[in-house]
Amino acid sequence: MKKWLYLLSAVIIWVIIGFLIFDFLPAQSRPAARTKQEISRIISTAPNITEILFALGLEETIAGVTSDSTYPASAARKPNIGNFWQPDIEAIIAAKPDLVVTLGFPLYPQQQNLADRLRRFSYNSLTVFHTENLSDLFDTIEKIGTVTQRQQQANDLAADIKQKLERIEVLVAEKENVRVLYVVQRNPLRVAGRNTFINEMIELAGGENAIGATIQKYPPISTEQLITCNTDVIIEPTMGQEKSELLEQSGLQYWSRFENVPAVKNKRIYIVADDAISQLGPRVAEGVETIARCLKPKLFEK
Amino acid sequence: MAQLLTKKKLFFQIILAVVVLILVVLCCSLIGTKQISLRTVFALTEQPNTINPDYEIFFHVRLPRIFLACIVGAALACSGVVFQAILRNPLADPYILGISSGAGLGTIIAIISGLSLGILGNSPIAIFAFIGAMGTIWLVWFIGRLAGKSNVTGLLLAGVVVNAFFSAVIMFLTSIAKSQQIYATIFWLMGNITEERIFVLWMSAGLTTSGIVALFYISPQLNALSFGADDARSMGIDTSRTQLIGFAVAALITSIAVCLSGLIGFVGLIVPHGVRLVFGPDHRRLIPLSAITGAIFLAAADTLARTIVAPAQLPVGIVTAIAGGPFFLLLLIRYTRKIGWINK
Repeated sequence: MKKWLYLLSAVIIWVIIGFLIFDFLPAQSRPAARTKQEISRIISTAPNITEILFALGLEETIAGVTSDSTYPASAARKPNIGNFWQPDIEAIIAAKPDLVVTLGFPLYPQQQNLADRLRRFSYNSLTVFHTENLSDLFDTIEKIGTVTQRQQQANDLAADIKQKLERIEVLVAEKENVRVLYVVQRNPLRVAGRNTFINEMIELAGGENAIGATIQKYPPISTEQLITCNTDVIIEPTMGQEKSELLEQSGLQYWSRFENVPAVKNKRIYIVADDAISQLGPRVAEGVETIARCLKPKLFEK
Repeated sequence: MAQLLTKKKLFFQIILAVVVLILVVLCCSLIGTKQISLRTVFALTEQPNTINPDYEIFFHVRLPRIFLACIVGAALACSGVVFQAILRNPLADPYILGISSGAGLGTIIAIISGLSLGILGNSPIAIFAFIGAMGTIWLVWFIGRLAGKSNVTGLLLAGVVVNAFFSAVIMFLTSIAKSQQIYATIFWLMGNITEERIFVLWMSAGLTTSGIVALFYISPQLNALSFGADDARSMGIDTSRTQLIGFAVAALITSIAVCLSGLIGFVGLIVPHGVRLVFGPDHRRLIPLSAITGAIFLAAADTLARTIVAPAQLPVGIVTAIAGGPFFLLLLIRYTRKIGWINK
């Protein structure tokens, strides 16, 4: 009995000492000391953040990117700090950054976790939340512009994107909306639903999602749904994986089963390179144009 | 090796194991994606206000991480020993009684609900995973109790049923989650060791070590239990008290390990067997030595996990499975000839 009492008292004393000695609240970032100095080394942990940094003219200051930041081409030559899902904190520290820009919770907890850990070491880190729709994109550009003191370039970038989008909107407003299905996976059949930013881009491109509202963002749908939704166009992204020729071949085989779907009958199945569509970044206008070309190709033939 | 275990011998073996642990920790802390050496770590920088990145990496990234790996490895290995003893089942691992699905459920709820409440600055995922793990295992315990006291089969079946039910709930939640949330959940569950704040390390080290000491206190009773509950009772052991204490402590240290690092498999299953093959089934030796061996194993596995595909990292659970499997087979072949207990 005695040894249990000793053990219990040892634990209690240990815990109390822990609360007394150590700082048990998370260290707040100390922004005052760090943000005054000029930011000359930036690390980006996501491909769309890298694109924004390049678009703001910060190419020289980028000290590290993740392995999936492949646009623009010179981004791939920057030092590698891991990949999007598992950034390497040692490589980040070794690169001596003045600012680390990450995405955040709740969509990307591992990035939030990285940002918190870096903040504990008094690194200046900017976490961008909510990159789920267009207005988030403009918020992100503004935030990054403010922190890096490139507000002018940020405003220019945002205005440029808005202008391009307006031009496309005007162009496609002539005809009525085209029903489109954005298929992200064939087996099981999954599509982009109504509360995704892909849906937002489809609507800007003059289309209408053939699927109605669903709980899931990328719902699996049944064959019956596919037939009843009567979609005019099917768009499939390459997701950077296979070459589009292979996908087209297997696509012909796969979709030929559903002959009564208007998209299959009229052979309007398009395989597109999707890096401007699936990542919400400065090339969003290009993505919208890509989709618009699939939906209303005649408008672009001029 | 049919000699009696004396206090001196046990003490000596434990000290030796601790020395090996310290050496391994030192070696591991000097291996990583950035080349550092002890000299550069302690070198002073030219400008007094800049931080020496090697120092930061060594003290703030690597040592905390290795320390955490030691804590988690010791906790998992020890609770593996205890569950194998209580359930009298060599295939028992710390997650067998529903902890894995409970932690998984907690994790996915935390990620989907997007709540950012955390206690004392700990991430909400860790808190939810802990609550999920502890809640589930006590649920399994009470369901098992309904099947009768000291009924091991009842406990195991309750674990299987609860696991299945919670796995179904997890699958449902996964189907309505956004894809990034699914990725995040999977990565968290695959097991990850990162550096933690020193407060967290202090508390978890304290709780885990005291848990291991508590299990060491009941090791003679665990020895008796391995003959069977009836035989143990006839020797005067209070089987239900032993089972309850063992269960409670093992559940606690496993839940702590899971909430800190996700589900790292293999350690809790293989390390106890490995140590048992080399040192024999006496729990007085098995518990401390498995704890230390578990710590060494996981620290080494984590070092491999973070260097082999640098600058990316493998989830540490992959390394434990791939490295642990063949090594254990080797031990099995060498030692079953020496000790025929497996053929019982």
